[in-house]
Amino acid sequence: MNIPKNITTRLLQAVFILLCSQSLFAQKVVRYDLYVKDTLVNYAGKEKRAIAVNGQIPMPTLTFTEGDTAEIVVHNQLKESTSLHWHGVFLPNKEDGVPWLTQKPIEAGTTYTYRFPIIQHGTHWYHSHSGLQEQIGMYGSFIMKKKEEDKTFRKGIDDLPTVPIILSEWTNLNPDNINRMLHNANDWAAIKKNATQSYAEAIKEGHFKTKIKNEWKRMLAMDVSDVYYDKILINGNHTSDLKTADGKTLKAGDKVRLRVSNGGASSYFWLRYAGGKITVVANDGNDVEPVEVDRLIIAVSETYDVVVTIPEDGVAYEFLATTEDRTQSASYFVGNGIKQLISPLPKLKYFEGMKMMNDMMKMNGDLDDMGMKMSLNQMDMNVVMYPEITGDSKQKEDHSQHNMNMENDPNRYNANALGEIKTLNYAMLQSPSNTELPKDAPVKELKFTLTGNMNRYVWSMDNKILSEVDKIPVKKGEILRITIHNNSMMRHPMHLHGFDFRVINGKGEYSPLKNVLDIMPMETDTIEFLANEEGDWFFHCHILYHMMSGMNRVFAVDDYQNPNLPNKKQAYNKLQRESNMPHFMAQNDFATNGNDGDAMLQNSRWSLGTEWRLGYNDMHGYEVETHLGRYIGKMQWFMPFIGFDWRYRKMGMDEHETNLFGQKNEKDTRRAISLGFMYTLPMLVNFQAEVYHDGIVRLSLMREDIPISKRIRAGFMVNTDLEYMADLKYIINKNIGIRTHYDSDMDFGVGLALNY
Amino acid sequence: MKSISKILMIITVLLSAVNSFAQIKNAKTETVKIYGNCDMCKTTIEKAGNVKNVATVEWNKDTKMATLNYDSKKTNQDEILKRIALAGYDSEKFLAPDDVYAKLSGCCQYDRELKPVATTKDAGMDMKADHGNHNAKEMATTNTATTQNALQLKNVFDNYFSVKDALIKTDAAVSSAKAAELVKAIKAVEMTKLSTKEHTVWMKVMKDLTANAEKIAVAKDVTKQREIFALLANNMYELAKVSKQETPVYYQHCPMYNNGKGANWLSKEEAIKNPYYGSKMLTCGSVQETINNK
Repeated sequence: MNIPKNITTRLLQAVFILLCSQSLFAQKVVRYDLYVKDTLVNYAGKEKRAIAVNGQIPMPTLTFTEGDTAEIVVHNQLKESTSLHWHGVFLPNKEDGVPWLTQKPIEAGTTYTYRFPIIQHGTHWYHSHSGLQEQIGMYGSFIMKKKEEDKTFRKGIDDLPTVPIILSEWTNLNPDNINRMLHNANDWAAIKKNATQSYAEAIKEGHFKTKIKNEWKRMLAMDVSDVYYDKILINGNHTSDLKTADGKTLKAGDKVRLRVSNGGASSYFWLRYAGGKITVVANDGNDVEPVEVDRLIIAVSETYDVVVTIPEDGVAYEFLATTEDRTQSASYFVGNGIKQLISPLPKLKYFEGMKMMNDMMKMNGDLDDMGMKMSLNQMDMNVVMYPEITGDSKQKEDHSQHNMNMENDPNRYNANALGEIKTLNYAMLQSPSNTELPKDAPVKELKFTLTGNMNRYVWSMDNKILSEVDKIPVKKGEILRITIHNNSMMRHPMHLHGFDFRVINGKGEYSPLKNVLDIMPMETDTIEFLANEEGDWFFHCHILYHMMSGMNRVFAVDDYQNPNLPNKKQAYNKLQRESNMPHFMAQNDFATNGNDGDAMLQNSRWSLGTEWRLGYNDMHGYEVETHLGRYIGKMQWFMPFIGFDWRYRKMGMDEHETNLFGQKNEKDTRRAISLGFMYTLPMLVNFQAEVYHDGIVRLSLMREDIPISKRIRAGFMVNTDLEYMADLKYIINKNIGIRTHYDSDMDFGVGLALNY
Repeated sequence: MKSISKILMIITVLLSAVNSFAQIKNAKTETVKIYGNCDMCKTTIEKAGNVKNVATVEWNKDTKMATLNYDSKKTNQDEILKRIALAGYDSEKFLAPDDVYAKLSGCCQYDRELKPVATTKDAGMDMKADHGNHNAKEMATTNTATTQNALQLKNVFDNYFSVKDALIKTDAAVSSAKAAELVKAIKAVEMTKLSTKEHTVWMKVMKDLTANAEKIAVAKDVTKQREIFALLANNMYELAKVSKQETPVYYQHCPMYNNGKGANWLSKEEAIKNPYYGSKMLTCGSVQETINNK
């Protein structure tokens, strides 16, 4: 009798203990307290404002194990609001950290708690989703470890010592100012990068015709990246050493797994290793079948797990991250001893790139891939600019004819076919497990064309910015299959919140899972995912300055009631407004013969501008023209406007002004309202036509900022009032230039040109 | 005399002013060893190390010692030595990238004492070599027939390559002589010893092959020879695809030849040497395919 009773109690006990331990295990809460605070840093010779979390840049690495519950308490000690987004992490929508989409901003001086279960593993990162805070320090690694008993645990990979690596860039300029300068097509960054691609440089390299054709097609200088950075950082340092891993000194034969996240705001990085090949084992937090490559490019906000081996004792091997424009890099030395360097990437052949763009660009601003069906980064048009693959530009002359004939070669943009260097592309990624989506789920097909124009720095999807579109409704349980074509001149790393998507890359059921896909100009890629988590999920270009220009969409999966945002409509309006902020610019030339200048307030579509010419006496006159216009079309070459002119000029007794059409103005003071339009002609000449209320017509042609040499710009204006002007400007720095001009009203003048 | 001395004085004052202007502030001087050989090395090392008003480097080729003089607020020894290493020269702190070292001119390729002897790599290579021998032996013993087959066509290929090399040199006489030998080699092939695949292709191309080789042999003009060679090369390519090769063969393409219609050829070397233009455009072309049938 006693014995069975005993057994039952024992059993009960055992069950109880098991349950207990399991619930204990499941409820392991990992808590981090993050104190967000303004700070001053000196990364590049000057003390500048930055944001530090817990006193450090980058933000601390947050580490969890699958099955934990994350509890992250944000103490906002800034003077402005903030937010934190967990990049690539599956979580309930209200924890996603996008202000005005999934929560209210964390106001200055307040504390906010994010709490969500960790239901995946892999290398991810986190960053501020408020304004441009990500640029000045708010990025950090977010690592979720596999459980050791996980079925997918890979011996020889998942048991290696790991090091979180977060890449970023630093600029001494205020990011708000960078954003403004980008919109105003200020080419100071190009001067700093030695990438002005002026006429003088074009002639020197024998590419005068290329430059002419480029301007004829209304393109500005070929740009690989928009922003000039002063320093590149790996885990907050320009150079760092990794001598030990997991407490053990590194020696020959050791392998280290680097969990690399690109926390840069707008930079792509080439990753290369002086100690041999790089083995890629995971991408965007998802395992991939190991691939050995010589180098890879990591797009903005992507993550890659790479394994490197130490070949010899007594040597530390350089792991080098170089910006895509090749102007800057940061080093990480793996191993102990003398430092083995890797050679820097040679300078880009910009004019080759310009020539390539000329061929691809149609007169209407569309891109033409000439039937190449580009996708998945396999064909990199930029290889024409890479000397290490397509040869030095100096040798080019003997081969000029040869290059022309290369145009029939189907592999002419395929880096891996052209050179001996093996470069990773998306077609090489394969998931180790089946990633197929349920076959019975309904499929919703979407198509997006990525659009934009460099001249005004407007970036959009289907030529619509976020403030011009509603949320895209999606039913929970639907499969979303999205085809994206890039018809703009820049590459875009498109990021989806809350889900991993399959990249249709020819690997069938083993298609890799990602949450960021870099799409190069002219490429078309297809992604798909099961929308099984309700909420409003952001889908956007992760280049910070593109996102802030409105290159965003929202997928609304079911009608999610977010407790953080009771008034969804109002919140969405706020989000839309933040992605289309107006920006201001002004310039004035303080010259010996008068003041010439203009000021403009613009957003993605509207422009309010005023232009003045103020002489120092009545004979020279005073003139102010104000225009309010709206840019039309994708390329924004056409802008109808209404205008108001005021001018005063003391004329002699019988003097009057006659224009080309014989229309006369006899008054000293003239106030006129006008209707007109501006159109950008080939060679970037602005044609402006205006009719005033008194019937007077004025047509004018104007071109500003013709890049004569690296720092010299020229411009001209002629109009039917028989006025004309020509100028030359030497750029001293981003705000100051010396300008000389001849004006038909005010004669010759020299002055100091200031711009903001 | 007085005026001269005055002028001299002014010049000295001016010069010293310039001097002091160019001087490095917060100067720190250090001596480090940098590996190198000759005066050419000296120029490269110093040019790489110097930064106006920030750092100067003076290297002695006999002692191999460099004197670094730099503004300690603006730079440090590591930055200077890194620049020098990136120009190809090892120091106690940095090893130059291998490709940069390899590009130094012959006289500058100093002994790299600091670079560890690549023990593991060498071992690996030895193993590979062993393995290779092993394979060869095995093949020799187990399958003599195959090796003989290879020999059958090997003469054809070798003579073909000789014709091609002569055309690269734009040498009509040698081309025609080698083409004559190619004809002989073609005639010597015993078809019964070929594998089935080889046999099929051989039957298909033999007639053209012989005819074209004979034409090259007769032609005395290199332009004419090249025209025929373009046809011959296509036959050879078909053959190469099915036959065994000891070393990889590269199928290469010149896009310019024949008014932009292009032409191909086979080569044992991956590097392009264009038989259609010779020295006029020696490296025009690209590898289309690597044929590797061992």
